[in-house]
Amino acid sequence: MRARSSGKGAVLGRGEKKRIEEQFARHINRGQVKYLKAGHLDVLETMRRGIRFTDEATGRTMIDCFTSAGCFNVGRGNPVVLAALEEALDSLDMGSWMLLSPWKAALARELVQVAPRGLDRVFFASGGGDAIDCAIKLARGATGRPTVISTVKAYHGHTGFALSANGKEHYRRYFEPLMPGFRFVPFNDSEAIASAVDEKNAAVIIEPIQGEAGIFAADDEYLRELRRLCDRHGALLIFDEVQTGFCRTGRFFACEHSRVVPDIMALAKSIGGGVYPNGAVLYRGLPVINRFLKKHHDFHTSYNGGSDIGCCVSLAVIRFMRETRLWEKAERSGARLYSALEDIRRENPAIIREVRGLGLMIGIEYIHEFMGPMMSDALAKNGVFAAYSGNAPQVMRFMPPLVASDEDIDEIIAATRAAVGAMKSILPLALPAARVPFLLNLLNNERVQTLLFNWLRSAEDLVERIPGLGGRNK
Amino acid sequence: MKTANMSKRTLIEEYRRFFPGAMLDSMRSEGLDIIEGKREGAFIYDEKGKRYIDCITSASVHNLGRRPRGVTAAFRKALRETDQGNFPMISREKAALAAKIAAFSPYGLDCVVFSVTRGESVDFACKLVRGATGRGGIVTVDGSWFGQTGFALSLSERADRGIYGPLVPGVDIIPFGDFAAAAKAVTDGTAAVILEPMQAENGCRAAYPEYLGELRRLCDARGAVLVFDETQSGMGRTGKKFFLEYSGVVPDVLVIGEALGAGVFPIAATVFTEKLNRFMNRHPLIHLSTFGGSDIGCMTAIAALELYERLRPWENAETMGRRLRSGLEKALRRRSRQIGRVSGAGLLLAVDFGNRANALAFCRSAARSGVLVKTGEVDRSSVLIRPSLLITPTQTNEIIEAMGKAAENK
Repeated sequence: MRARSSGKGAVLGRGEKKRIEEQFARHINRGQVKYLKAGHLDVLETMRRGIRFTDEATGRTMIDCFTSAGCFNVGRGNPVVLAALEEALDSLDMGSWMLLSPWKAALARELVQVAPRGLDRVFFASGGGDAIDCAIKLARGATGRPTVISTVKAYHGHTGFALSANGKEHYRRYFEPLMPGFRFVPFNDSEAIASAVDEKNAAVIIEPIQGEAGIFAADDEYLRELRRLCDRHGALLIFDEVQTGFCRTGRFFACEHSRVVPDIMALAKSIGGGVYPNGAVLYRGLPVINRFLKKHHDFHTSYNGGSDIGCCVSLAVIRFMRETRLWEKAERSGARLYSALEDIRRENPAIIREVRGLGLMIGIEYIHEFMGPMMSDALAKNGVFAAYSGNAPQVMRFMPPLVASDEDIDEIIAATRAAVGAMKSILPLALPAARVPFLLNLLNNERVQTLLFNWLRSAEDLVERIPGLGGRNK
Repeated sequence: MKTANMSKRTLIEEYRRFFPGAMLDSMRSEGLDIIEGKREGAFIYDEKGKRYIDCITSASVHNLGRRPRGVTAAFRKALRETDQGNFPMISREKAALAAKIAAFSPYGLDCVVFSVTRGESVDFACKLVRGATGRGGIVTVDGSWFGQTGFALSLSERADRGIYGPLVPGVDIIPFGDFAAAAKAVTDGTAAVILEPMQAENGCRAAYPEYLGELRRLCDARGAVLVFDETQSGMGRTGKKFFLEYSGVVPDVLVIGEALGAGVFPIAATVFTEKLNRFMNRHPLIHLSTFGGSDIGCMTAIAALELYERLRPWENAETMGRRLRSGLEKALRRRSRQIGRVSGAGLLLAVDFGNRANALAFCRSAARSGVLVKTGEVDRSSVLIRPSLLITPTQTNEIIEAMGKAAENK
């Protein structure tokens, strides 16, 4: 029903795909087109349903294991969410942030109900970055302290405060000087954090599972230590649950695993049901925060977060999650996927170094960075769309929609097995090169990859166009 | 919908429970503790069916009136066909909207990065100019209001700016309209000069064409980038497609606000030159936005842009703006000498009330008379009047009459 093209197998003409790519390159980003082509990620999504979409260019249907980094937890085109959205559209629009909204209040109530005890107050935000900016402003404003401690390789977003808290040089370097007062400590290192937190510290900000860095879960004891340190020094503890929230890790929020309740929690991504931007910041009504808000309730007015339509969508998302107990499904499916991937790793130690994760947030780390783009392609050919991490190309993230059935999970497993098999046939060529340090550096260099893989892609396309030699792989 | 039938008392209790109490007090002080129920065209209705003319339009978001039919219909169609999409992907919807924005924008501004909200667009603009020039300095003017996110906050004039810790360094705030200060501030270390050519939240203070021309000249001479934020003054609001048309000065970067989604879908954009995009092409995916330019939002915004092109609301904004302005001047001046002049252009007008208490009292009184208005965020003794750009002469007369009454009863 949500098909744009006439159905499976309806393949876009080569000319039309070229036209779209050229329009995108000219008005948005040419480098991005090249980069995606090199990584075999240049698909045009259509027929976005449940856990799958079809690439309009090849007609190939794929399981979405990227899900916009965790946006489609309830599945793509979720009927409950769409029905709520259709109903909202009958009478509502974004609304006006300065007027009273029953929908804002209803969503706030629902969020507080599913959140860990103590997080009982709410701000809205327009997305992840905006939510992090709101959280950090709240912490600095309330404590009157300047410094914020984040972790190495952390990813919190791209707006001013969030970017300053990003622990990866890659996203920050061209935009310096950013905000002073941000310090980075190694993730999961209790000693490092113990010597970093002091009385000048407004907040410690952390993802309970680092996503973009390559799926690293914080130990429960480490999180408990953070809680103790913040309490002792009067700093606020901020959890960024933008990717881990809304059932992804087998609990409604990842912090439930450790039972550590932060003072401020930032949410976005899946709160929008894959259709409408929204975000939220939950916080505890601590005296230090309440005093601040008495004077500065409008410290981070959200003009677009918590819109009336957005709240209706988010309400439906939460209702669906509660009714289907989606976190339980995530935990079960996660265990199934994890143990199968672990088997594949054991069988292929020359390709896969490690499998790690929680719930349906699982990462596979390859031996070499250059394997990321190659595996993306091999997986796509076997019907699975997965992207390597921006902050760590050697790690591929598997974050499929949580509504995936056991059969769907088995399909992901079979595709991974087949893709690893296909990789094995290429490795005799690549691995000898990888033994030469100079060549390995070249292979792992993002720009060289883009050039090299683009050249390979053109060669493949050429072969496909020669009758008798190629033919599309469907 | 059950939610919609919540009584005001219950709703206020819910607000007290989940949101800061001071927020309610602030709403009340502006007469805005009103339940926003049904909304259509120029109007909002509360839970009891009382009708108000919306002269806030969510700070120039609802430029085409509330729930413009073509846009809601397009959104409905889009949600049956697509969703937000995987954000890093090549997308037909994103490409089509970007091309449409390029055609709608001043000549030479051909490249687009999407975002959800104004602050995000401004933050990106600041990052773009730093990345592209390799310089750190950002010059802006006093009286600005760019939004809530990190860079936007660092550039804005607000009383609480100092309490969020050390903000983005390298920002130089110079007096608005001061040629000599600009000449001194813009140096070889300046990445960009960024300003709103009309400062809506600051009593609709407008830059003289000569000043904008001088900034253009200084930027060109020093190799700096000129950035205009037309979130509030653009998209037909001031009687032209963009306010910059009054001066003929074209910036290198233009921030287009949420009027792009016509109040149906949150989407904003930063539009810039191909030359600046060379930096982004060299560093793809260096700035990401999960929700910015979602495919479903792009389809909605395409319908909105088509409506802008078809209705040319800037023309109505100019005519009705003139009628509203002269009507207000007469109606308000006649009743009170304390009320100062009306500033602005098109349907972005500000009335100066001399002090905040008077401005607030007027807002409350206007709400009682059936018109919703709000004070400025920077000049807090000004009241802004920003109705739908499609208001009719009758509705304009109604606003004038209600404002006159409000001034009398305040």
